Amino acid sequence: MLNHFQIMLIFALAVSLAFALLSKQRAGERALYFLWAFLGFMAVAIGIGWLMYPFSR
Amino acid sequence: MAETEKTAAATKGNQPLALFAAAAGWLVPGLGHLLLGKWGKALGYFVAVASLAIVGLKLRGDVFTSGGDAFGTLGFLADLGAGVFYFLAHRIEAAGPDVSRAAGDYGTRLIATAGVLNLLCVLEAFQIGLHRDGKS
Repeated sequence: MLNHFQIMLIFALAVSLAFALLSKQRAGERALYFLWAFLGFMAVAIGIGWLMYPFSR
Repeated sequence: MAETEKTAAATKGNQPLALFAAAAGWLVPGLGHLLLGKWGKALGYFVAVASLAIVGLKLRGDVFTSGGDAFGTLGFLADLGAGVFYFLAHRIEAAGPDVSRAAGDYGTRLIATAGVLNLLCVLEAFQIGLHRDGKS
């Protein structure tokens, strides 16, 4: 069974891939967009996780 | 006069091809793009939508059916967007949904995301098909 981080990783990879293909036409632009979108998803999710951590106890 | 007819024809585009590509792309994610010769996009969209839908179903996410309340109807429309994965949901995960665990709740979101992403891909396939002159 997948843990929560792995589920988030799959979500970020799949959505970043689709967004990159939908919004950019050139291969280089797509790769860059994919990378930034993926890192953005991960950074925001981990950031929100850290912000919520004190309230989890 | 000829210019006006040309503009009208260009605006109308190749509607049968566009509708066929959109319908194919809805039923099997990426198939619309494949029929239009966009192999790379077709593969990318299939991988993205299939991975979200299959992981969502394996996590035992909820698959909405028609006839619920407003939120249920929205969920149904989003899930239906995943095409073949919606219709094969019970074959992919025979145990059915279980949202009593967090994983099942995440699965519900992943299935809905797969459907909405596929609808965006369908719209793009329709747009590409519309701008094909039918000669290429």
